[in-house]
Amino acid sequence: MALKDVKSRIASVKNIQKITRAMEMVAAARLRRAEQRIESLRPYAGAIRRMTRQAAQAAGNVPNLPILNEHDSEDKVAILIVTGDRGLAGAFNSQIVRAGMRAGNEYETAGKSTVWYASGRRGVSSLAFRGREAKGAYTGFTDRPSYANAREIAAELVSAYVDGEVDRVEIIYNRYVSALTQEVTRETLLPLQHATIMGDDGAVDSLGERAAEDEALDHDHEHTALVEYEPDPEEILERLIPAYVEISIFRALLESTASEHGARMTAMRNASENAGDIIKDLTLEFNRERQAAITQEIMEVVAGAESLV
Amino acid sequence: MARTPFKVEVLTPEGEVFNDEVEMVSTRTSVGSIGILANHQPLLAMLNPTELRLYKSDSEVIRFAQGEGFLQMTGDRALVLVDEVFSVDKLNASDLQERLKRAEDELASAEEGTEERRAAERDKRRYEAFLKLADNA
Repeated sequence: MALKDVKSRIASVKNIQKITRAMEMVAAARLRRAEQRIESLRPYAGAIRRMTRQAAQAAGNVPNLPILNEHDSEDKVAILIVTGDRGLAGAFNSQIVRAGMRAGNEYETAGKSTVWYASGRRGVSSLAFRGREAKGAYTGFTDRPSYANAREIAAELVSAYVDGEVDRVEIIYNRYVSALTQEVTRETLLPLQHATIMGDDGAVDSLGERAAEDEALDHDHEHTALVEYEPDPEEILERLIPAYVEISIFRALLESTASEHGARMTAMRNASENAGDIIKDLTLEFNRERQAAITQEIMEVVAGAESLV
Repeated sequence: MARTPFKVEVLTPEGEVFNDEVEMVSTRTSVGSIGILANHQPLLAMLNPTELRLYKSDSEVIRFAQGEGFLQMTGDRALVLVDEVFSVDKLNASDLQERLKRAEDELASAEEGTEERRAAERDKRRYEAFLKLADNA
Protein backbone atom coordinates (compact mmCIF):
# COMPACT_ATOMS: atom_id res chain seq x y z
CA MET A 1 0.00 0.00 0.00
CA ALA A 2 1.28 3.44 -0.83
CA LEU A 3 2.42 5.65 1.98
CA LYS A 4 -0.30 8.23 1.39
CA ASP A 5 -3.06 5.60 1.47
CA VAL A 6 -1.88 4.22 4.80
CA LYS A 7 -1.80 7.70 6.24
CA SER A 8 -5.36 8.47 5.18
CA ARG A 9 -6.57 5.13 6.51
CA ILE A 10 -5.02 5.87 9.89
CA ALA A 11 -6.79 9.23 9.91
CA SER A 12 -10.16 7.67 9.09
CA VAL A 13 -9.84 4.93 11.71
CA LYS A 14 -8.92 7.60 14.27
CA ASN A 15 -12.08 9.48 13.39
CA ILE A 16 -14.18 6.34 13.81
CA GLN A 17 -12.55 5.76 17.18
CA LYS A 18 -13.48 9.25 18.29
CA ILE A 19 -17.11 8.57 17.42
CA THR A 20 -17.26 5.18 19.13
CA ARG A 21 -15.63 6.66 22.26
CA ALA A 22 -18.22 9.44 22.33
CA MET A 23 -21.06 6.92 21.86
CA GLU A 24 -19.68 4.81 24.67
CA MET A 25 -19.70 7.76 27.03
CA VAL A 26 -23.20 8.84 26.06
CA ALA A 27 -24.46 5.29 26.60
CA ALA A 28 -22.79 5.14 30.02
CA ALA A 29 -24.50 8.34 31.14
CA ARG A 30 -27.87 7.15 29.87
CA LEU A 31 -27.39 3.77 31.47
CA ARG A 32 -27.06 5.35 34.89
CA ARG A 33 -30.29 7.27 34.39
CA ALA A 34 -32.08 4.15 33.15
CA GLU A 35 -30.93 2.20 36.22
CA GLN A 36 -32.34 4.91 38.47
CA ARG A 37 -35.69 4.75 36.72
CA ILE A 38 -35.96 1.02 37.39
CA GLU A 39 -35.36 1.81 41.06
CA SER A 40 -37.98 4.57 41.04
CA LEU A 41 -40.68 2.14 39.95
CA ARG A 42 -40.23 -0.14 42.96
CA PRO A 43 -42.02 1.90 45.64
CA TYR A 44 -45.00 2.40 43.34
CA ALA A 45 -45.24 -1.28 42.43
CA GLY A 46 -44.96 -2.19 46.10
CA ALA A 47 -47.72 0.22 47.11
CA ILE A 48 -50.04 -1.12 44.40
CA ARG A 49 -49.45 -4.63 45.70
CA ARG A 50 -50.17 -3.63 49.31
CA MET A 51 -53.38 -1.92 48.31
CA THR A 52 -54.43 -4.95 46.28
CA ARG A 53 -53.87 -7.20 49.23
CA GLN A 54 -55.83 -4.90 51.51
CA ALA A 55 -58.73 -4.56 49.08
CA ALA A 56 -58.76 -8.32 48.40
CA GLN A 57 -58.96 -9.02 52.11
CA ALA A 58 -61.86 -6.62 52.45
CA ALA A 59 -63.64 -8.06 49.43
CA GLY A 60 -63.20 -11.60 50.72
CA ASN A 61 -61.56 -12.76 47.50
CA VAL A 62 -60.24 -11.56 44.19
CA PRO A 63 -63.11 -10.85 41.81
CA ASN A 64 -63.43 -12.89 38.67
CA LEU A 65 -62.02 -10.44 36.17
CA PRO A 66 -61.74 -11.34 32.49
CA ILE A 67 -57.98 -10.70 32.47
CA LEU A 68 -57.54 -13.38 35.16
CA ASN A 69 -59.50 -16.02 33.29
CA GLU A 70 -57.86 -18.47 31.00
CA HIS A 71 -59.63 -18.89 27.70
CA ASP A 72 -61.09 -22.32 26.93
CA SER A 73 -58.90 -22.84 23.92
CA GLU A 74 -55.53 -21.30 23.21
CA ASP A 75 -55.48 -20.88 19.46
CA LYS A 76 -54.21 -17.34 19.05
CA VAL A 77 -51.09 -16.15 20.79
CA ALA A 78 -49.91 -12.56 20.88
CA ILE A 79 -46.18 -11.95 21.13
CA LEU A 80 -44.80 -8.55 22.10
CA ILE A 81 -41.13 -8.08 21.30
CA VAL A 82 -39.37 -5.23 23.07
CA THR A 83 -36.43 -3.81 21.08
CA GLY A 84 -34.74 -0.45 20.63
CA ASP A 85 -35.23 2.30 18.08
CA ARG A 86 -31.59 2.25 17.09
CA GLY A 87 -28.92 -0.30 16.34
CA LEU A 88 -25.19 -0.28 17.08
CA ALA A 89 -25.80 -2.12 20.31
CA GLY A 90 -24.27 -5.51 19.68
CA ALA A 91 -26.69 -8.42 19.80
CA PHE A 92 -29.26 -6.42 21.77
CA ASN A 93 -31.93 -6.23 19.07
CA SER A 94 -31.14 -9.35 17.09
CA GLN A 95 -31.33 -11.71 20.06
CA ILE A 96 -34.84 -10.46 20.86
CA VAL A 97 -35.97 -10.86 17.27
CA ARG A 98 -34.45 -14.35 17.14
CA ALA A 99 -36.13 -15.41 20.41
CA GLY A 100 -39.42 -14.00 19.13
CA MET A 101 -39.19 -15.91 15.87
CA ARG A 102 -38.34 -19.10 17.72
CA ALA A 103 -41.37 -18.69 20.02
CA GLY A 104 -43.55 -17.87 17.02
CA ASN A 105 -42.39 -20.94 15.12
CA GLU A 106 -43.03 -23.13 18.15
CA TYR A 107 -46.63 -21.98 18.33
CA GLU A 108 -47.14 -22.22 14.61
CA THR A 109 -45.86 -25.79 14.39
CA ALA A 110 -48.28 -26.58 17.23
CA GLY A 111 -51.05 -25.34 14.94
CA LYS A 112 -51.66 -22.02 16.65
CA SER A 113 -51.76 -18.63 15.02
CA THR A 114 -49.62 -15.74 16.17
CA VAL A 115 -50.31 -12.03 16.40
CA TRP A 116 -47.32 -9.70 16.61
CA TYR A 117 -46.72 -6.56 18.60
CA ALA A 118 -43.40 -4.73 18.64
CA SER A 119 -41.93 -1.87 20.57
CA GLY A 120 -38.90 -0.16 19.05
CA ARG A 121 -38.20 0.60 15.39
CA ARG A 122 -35.74 -2.28 15.07
CA GLY A 123 -38.34 -4.82 16.10
CA VAL A 124 -41.00 -3.35 13.84
CA SER A 125 -38.73 -3.36 10.78
CA SER A 126 -37.44 -6.87 11.54
CA LEU A 127 -41.00 -8.15 11.64
CA ALA A 128 -41.77 -6.47 8.33
CA PHE A 129 -38.60 -7.94 6.82
CA ARG A 130 -39.69 -11.42 7.87
CA GLY A 131 -43.09 -10.88 6.37
CA ARG A 132 -44.95 -10.64 9.64
CA GLU A 133 -47.24 -7.73 10.12
CA ALA A 134 -47.09 -5.94 13.47
CA LYS A 135 -50.62 -5.46 14.79
CA GLY A 136 -49.28 -2.91 17.23
CA ALA A 137 -46.11 -0.92 16.55
CA TYR A 138 -44.83 1.38 19.26
CA THR A 139 -41.81 3.50 18.42
CA GLY A 140 -40.06 6.74 19.25
CA PHE A 141 -39.67 6.35 23.01
CA THR A 142 -37.23 3.51 23.66
CA ASP A 143 -34.54 5.96 24.80
CA ARG A 144 -36.77 7.08 27.61
CA PRO A 145 -40.08 5.23 27.92
CA SER A 146 -42.80 6.92 29.96
CA TYR A 147 -45.57 5.22 31.89
CA ALA A 148 -48.02 6.59 29.34
CA ASN A 149 -46.28 4.45 26.68
CA ALA A 150 -46.72 1.37 28.85
CA ARG A 151 -50.34 2.28 29.49
CA GLU A 152 -51.04 2.55 25.77
CA ILE A 153 -49.48 -0.85 25.05
CA ALA A 154 -51.25 -2.44 28.03
CA ALA A 155 -54.62 -1.03 26.97
CA GLU A 156 -54.31 -2.56 23.50
CA LEU A 157 -53.11 -5.93 24.74
CA VAL A 158 -55.76 -6.14 27.46
CA SER A 159 -58.46 -5.18 24.96
CA ALA A 160 -57.25 -7.82 22.52
CA TYR A 161 -57.29 -10.43 25.29
CA VAL A 162 -60.60 -9.52 26.90
CA ASP A 163 -62.36 -9.07 23.56
CA GLY A 164 -61.22 -12.55 22.52
CA GLU A 165 -58.92 -11.58 19.67
CA VAL A 166 -56.08 -13.46 21.36
CA ASP A 167 -55.98 -16.20 24.00
CA ARG A 168 -52.58 -15.55 25.47
CA VAL A 169 -50.10 -12.68 25.51
CA GLU A 170 -46.36 -13.12 25.88
CA ILE A 171 -43.63 -10.53 26.18
CA ILE A 172 -40.00 -11.00 25.15
CA TYR A 173 -37.48 -8.44 26.35
CA ASN A 174 -33.90 -8.00 27.50
CA ARG A 175 -33.76 -8.15 31.27
CA TYR A 176 -31.06 -5.92 32.65
CA VAL A 177 -28.47 -7.80 34.68
CA SER A 178 -25.44 -5.56 34.32
CA ALA A 179 -23.82 -3.36 31.71
CA LEU A 180 -22.16 -6.48 30.34
CA THR A 181 -25.04 -8.92 30.61
CA GLN A 182 -28.58 -8.74 29.31
CA GLU A 183 -30.81 -11.75 29.58
CA VAL A 184 -33.47 -12.53 27.01
CA THR A 185 -36.60 -13.06 29.09
CA ARG A 186 -39.93 -14.49 28.00
CA GLU A 187 -42.93 -13.97 30.26
CA THR A 188 -46.66 -14.52 30.08
CA LEU A 189 -48.55 -11.25 30.52
CA LEU A 190 -52.09 -12.49 30.03
CA PRO A 191 -53.95 -14.28 31.47
CA LEU A 192 -52.64 -12.56 34.54
CA GLN A 193 -51.53 -15.16 37.08
CA HIS A 194 -53.05 -15.11 40.55
CA ALA A 195 -49.57 -15.71 41.93
CA THR A 196 -48.33 -12.53 40.30
CA ILE A 197 -50.89 -10.51 42.20
CA MET A 198 -51.01 -12.08 45.60
CA GLY A 199 -47.66 -13.82 45.66
CA ASP A 200 -44.91 -12.55 47.90
CA ASP A 201 -42.24 -14.44 46.00
CA GLY A 202 -41.16 -11.24 44.30
CA ALA A 203 -42.34 -12.49 40.92
CA VAL A 204 -43.41 -9.04 39.81
CA ASP A 205 -41.03 -6.92 41.82
CA SER A 206 -38.36 -7.44 44.38
CA LEU A 207 -39.70 -5.71 47.42
CA GLY A 208 -37.39 -7.12 50.01
CA GLU A 209 -36.60 -3.78 51.51
CA ARG A 210 -40.27 -2.94 51.73
CA ALA A 211 -41.41 -6.21 53.20
CA ALA A 212 -40.92 -5.17 56.81
CA GLU A 213 -42.80 -1.94 56.35
CA ASP A 214 -45.39 -3.95 54.49
CA GLU A 215 -46.11 -6.17 57.39
CA ALA A 216 -46.19 -3.27 59.81
CA LEU A 217 -48.90 -1.69 57.69
CA ASP A 218 -50.87 -4.91 57.35
CA HIS A 219 -50.69 -5.27 61.07
CA ASP A 220 -52.00 -1.76 61.46
CA HIS A 221 -55.13 -2.46 59.49
CA GLU A 222 -56.28 -5.32 61.58
CA HIS A 223 -56.26 -3.22 64.69
CA THR A 224 -57.45 0.14 63.49
CA ALA A 225 -61.02 1.18 62.96
CA LEU A 226 -62.97 0.02 59.97
CA VAL A 227 -61.47 1.12 56.70
CA GLU A 228 -63.71 3.13 54.46
CA TYR A 229 -63.78 2.18 50.75
CA GLU A 230 -64.71 4.53 47.99
CA PRO A 231 -66.18 2.88 45.91
CA ASP A 232 -66.46 -0.68 47.29
CA PRO A 233 -63.37 -2.93 47.38
CA GLU A 234 -64.51 -5.04 44.41
CA GLU A 235 -64.64 -2.01 42.14
CA ILE A 236 -61.27 -0.79 43.37
CA LEU A 237 -59.79 -4.20 42.58
CA GLU A 238 -61.23 -4.00 39.09
CA ARG A 239 -58.88 -1.12 38.44
CA LEU A 240 -55.98 -2.18 40.68
CA ILE A 241 -55.47 -5.53 39.00
CA PRO A 242 -55.09 -4.24 35.42
CA ALA A 243 -52.42 -1.93 36.84
CA TYR A 244 -50.22 -5.04 37.20
CA VAL A 245 -50.21 -5.47 33.44
CA GLU A 246 -49.19 -1.84 32.98
CA ILE A 247 -46.47 -2.11 35.60
CA SER A 248 -45.12 -5.36 34.10
CA ILE A 249 -44.92 -3.75 30.68
CA PHE A 250 -43.40 -0.56 32.06
CA ARG A 251 -40.79 -2.56 33.92
CA ALA A 252 -39.95 -4.51 30.78
CA LEU A 253 -39.59 -1.25 28.83
CA LEU A 254 -37.30 0.23 31.49
CA GLU A 255 -35.21 -2.93 31.74
CA SER A 256 -34.94 -3.04 27.97
CA THR A 257 -33.80 0.58 27.87
CA ALA A 258 -31.13 -0.05 30.50
CA SER A 259 -30.07 -3.19 28.62
CA GLU A 260 -29.85 -1.27 25.36
CA HIS A 261 -27.58 1.39 26.83
CA GLY A 262 -25.48 -1.30 28.52
CA ALA A 263 -25.19 -3.30 25.31
CA ARG A 264 -24.31 -0.21 23.30
CA MET A 265 -21.72 0.84 25.86
CA THR A 266 -20.06 -2.57 25.66
CA ALA A 267 -20.28 -2.75 21.87
CA MET A 268 -18.76 0.71 21.50
CA ARG A 269 -16.00 -0.05 23.96
CA ASN A 270 -15.08 -3.11 21.88
CA ALA A 271 -15.24 -1.03 18.73
CA SER A 272 -12.90 1.58 20.24
CA GLU A 273 -10.47 -1.12 21.26
CA ASN A 274 -10.56 -2.69 17.82
CA ALA A 275 -9.96 0.70 16.25
CA GLY A 276 -6.95 1.07 18.55
CA ASP A 277 -5.55 -2.25 17.33
CA ILE A 278 -6.05 -1.30 13.71
CA ILE A 279 -4.35 2.03 14.27
CA LYS A 280 -1.40 0.25 15.86
CA ASP A 281 -1.07 -2.16 12.93
CA LEU A 282 -1.43 0.59 10.36
CA THR A 283 1.11 2.80 12.11
CA LEU A 284 3.57 -0.06 12.06
CA GLU A 285 2.92 -0.58 8.38
CA PHE A 286 3.27 3.13 7.76
CA ASN A 287 6.68 3.26 9.49
CA ARG A 288 7.86 0.21 7.64
CA GLU A 289 6.85 1.69 4.30
CA ARG A 290 8.47 4.99 5.14
CA GLN A 291 11.69 3.26 6.16
CA ALA A 292 11.66 1.22 2.95
CA ALA A 293 11.22 4.38 0.90
CA ILE A 294 14.13 6.08 2.65
CA THR A 295 16.37 3.06 2.18
CA GLN A 296 15.45 2.94 -1.45
CA GLU A 297 16.30 6.59 -1.93
CA ILE A 298 19.69 6.17 -0.27
CA MET A 299 20.43 3.15 -2.44
CA GLU A 300 19.54 5.16 -5.51
CA VAL A 301 21.81 8.01 -4.47
CA VAL A 302 24.71 5.64 -3.72
CA ALA A 303 24.16 3.77 -7.00
CA GLY A 304 24.14 7.09 -8.86
CA ALA A 305 27.36 8.23 -7.15
CA GLU A 306 29.08 4.93 -7.92
CA SER A 307 28.27 5.17 -11.62
CA LEU A 308 30.02 8.55 -11.75
CA VAL A 309 33.30 7.26 -10.35
CA MET B 1 -57.18 28.97 60.65
CA ALA B 2 -54.21 26.71 60.97
CA ARG B 3 -55.01 23.03 60.75
CA THR B 4 -53.05 20.05 61.98
CA PRO B 5 -50.48 19.09 59.36
CA PHE B 6 -50.01 15.47 58.31
CA LYS B 7 -47.63 13.57 56.05
CA VAL B 8 -48.50 13.08 52.41
CA GLU B 9 -46.57 11.08 49.86
CA VAL B 10 -47.36 11.27 46.16
CA LEU B 11 -45.91 8.37 44.16
CA THR B 12 -45.89 7.70 40.44
CA PRO B 13 -44.30 4.86 38.48
CA GLU B 14 -41.56 7.32 37.53
CA GLY B 15 -40.75 8.17 41.12
CA GLU B 16 -41.81 10.22 44.09
CA VAL B 17 -43.10 13.69 43.29
CA PHE B 18 -44.06 14.95 46.72
CA ASN B 19 -43.30 13.94 50.29
CA ASP B 20 -44.02 16.54 52.91
CA GLU B 21 -46.53 17.72 55.47
CA VAL B 22 -49.70 19.42 54.36
CA GLU B 23 -52.89 20.61 56.02
CA MET B 24 -55.29 19.27 53.44
CA VAL B 25 -55.36 17.14 50.30
CA SER B 26 -58.04 17.72 47.72
CA THR B 27 -58.73 15.34 44.84
CA ARG B 28 -61.54 13.41 43.18
CA THR B 29 -62.55 9.82 43.79
CA SER B 30 -64.79 7.84 41.49
CA VAL B 31 -67.62 8.87 43.81
CA GLY B 32 -66.89 12.60 43.96
CA SER B 33 -64.62 15.35 45.20
CA ILE B 34 -62.91 14.69 48.47
CA GLY B 35 -60.87 16.73 50.94
CA ILE B 36 -58.67 14.94 53.42
CA LEU B 37 -57.59 16.47 56.73
CA ALA B 38 -55.32 15.05 59.39
CA ASN B 39 -56.72 12.08 61.33
CA HIS B 40 -59.16 11.16 58.61
CA GLN B 41 -60.73 7.73 58.99
CA PRO B 42 -58.66 4.99 57.29
CA LEU B 43 -59.61 5.09 53.65
CA LEU B 44 -58.88 3.38 50.38
CA ALA B 45 -60.20 5.27 47.41
CA MET B 46 -59.99 5.11 43.64
CA LEU B 47 -59.06 8.43 42.03
CA ASN B 48 -60.13 9.81 38.69
CA PRO B 49 -58.22 12.32 36.57
CA THR B 50 -58.54 15.77 38.11
CA GLU B 51 -56.59 18.50 39.84
CA LEU B 52 -54.69 17.31 42.87
CA ARG B 53 -54.30 20.12 45.40
CA LEU B 54 -51.96 19.95 48.35
CA TYR B 55 -52.63 22.73 50.85
CA LYS B 56 -49.46 23.51 52.78
CA SER B 57 -51.47 26.37 54.26
CA ASP B 58 -54.54 28.32 53.23
CA SER B 59 -52.45 30.51 50.97
CA GLU B 60 -49.81 28.05 49.77
CA VAL B 61 -51.32 25.45 47.49
CA ILE B 62 -49.40 23.03 45.27
CA ARG B 63 -51.39 22.03 42.22
CA PHE B 64 -50.91 19.05 39.95
CA ALA B 65 -52.86 17.53 37.12
CA GLN B 66 -53.23 13.88 38.06
CA GLY B 67 -54.22 10.84 36.05
CA GLU B 68 -55.96 7.82 37.50
CA GLY B 69 -54.84 6.47 40.82
CA PHE B 70 -55.55 5.49 44.38
CA LEU B 71 -55.48 7.12 47.77
CA GLN B 72 -54.72 5.33 50.99
CA MET B 73 -55.13 6.99 54.35
CA THR B 74 -53.60 5.08 57.24
CA GLY B 75 -53.33 6.50 60.71
CA ASP B 76 -51.48 9.75 60.38
CA ARG B 77 -50.38 9.66 56.77
CA ALA B 78 -51.77 9.65 53.28
CA LEU B 79 -50.37 7.89 50.26
CA VAL B 80 -51.46 9.08 46.85
CA LEU B 81 -50.62 6.74 43.97
CA VAL B 82 -51.23 8.12 40.51
CA ASP B 83 -50.14 6.91 37.10
CA GLU B 84 -49.06 10.38 36.00
CA VAL B 85 -48.83 13.93 37.33
CA PHE B 86 -47.96 17.19 35.61
CA SER B 87 -47.72 20.65 36.97
CA VAL B 88 -50.80 22.42 35.66
CA ASP B 89 -48.88 25.04 33.69
CA LYS B 90 -47.06 22.34 31.73
CA LEU B 91 -50.26 21.05 30.16
CA ASN B 92 -50.35 21.61 26.43
CA ALA B 93 -53.90 22.38 25.31
CA SER B 94 -53.40 21.67 21.61
CA ASP B 95 -51.68 18.35 22.30
CA LEU B 96 -54.51 17.41 24.66
CA GLN B 97 -57.12 18.39 22.05
CA GLU B 98 -55.45 16.02 19.64
CA ARG B 99 -55.35 13.16 22.13
CA LEU B 100 -58.96 13.77 23.08
CA LYS B 101 -59.91 13.71 19.41
CA ARG B 102 -58.11 10.39 18.96
CA ALA B 103 -59.85 8.91 22.02
CA GLU B 104 -63.20 10.10 20.65
CA ASP B 105 -62.46 8.53 17.27
CA GLU B 106 -61.57 5.25 18.92
CA LEU B 107 -64.70 5.43 21.01
CA ALA B 108 -66.80 5.97 17.90
CA SER B 109 -65.26 3.01 16.09
CA ALA B 110 -65.27 0.60 19.07
CA GLU B 111 -68.20 -1.72 19.46
CA GLU B 112 -70.55 -1.52 22.41
CA GLY B 113 -69.53 -3.59 25.43
CA THR B 114 -65.93 -4.27 24.37
CA GLU B 115 -62.84 -3.65 26.45
CA GLU B 116 -61.57 -1.46 23.64
CA ARG B 117 -64.52 0.84 24.20
CA ARG B 118 -63.98 1.02 27.94
CA ALA B 119 -60.32 1.91 27.40
CA ALA B 120 -61.31 4.68 24.99
CA GLU B 121 -63.84 6.00 27.50
CA ARG B 122 -61.19 6.16 30.19
CA ASP B 123 -58.79 7.99 27.86
CA LYS B 124 -61.51 10.43 26.89
CA ARG B 125 -62.29 11.16 30.53
CA ARG B 126 -58.60 11.72 31.28
CA TYR B 127 -58.00 14.17 28.46
CA GLU B 128 -61.27 16.01 29.13
CA ALA B 129 -60.21 16.53 32.73
CA PHE B 130 -56.72 17.71 31.73
CA LEU B 131 -58.10 19.98 29.07
CA LYS B 132 -60.40 21.64 31.58
CA LEU B 133 -57.39 22.28 33.84
CA ALA B 134 -55.34 23.64 30.94
CA ASP B 135 -58.16 26.03 29.99
CA ASN B 136 -58.46 27.30 33.53
CA ALA B 137 -54.73 27.82 33.93
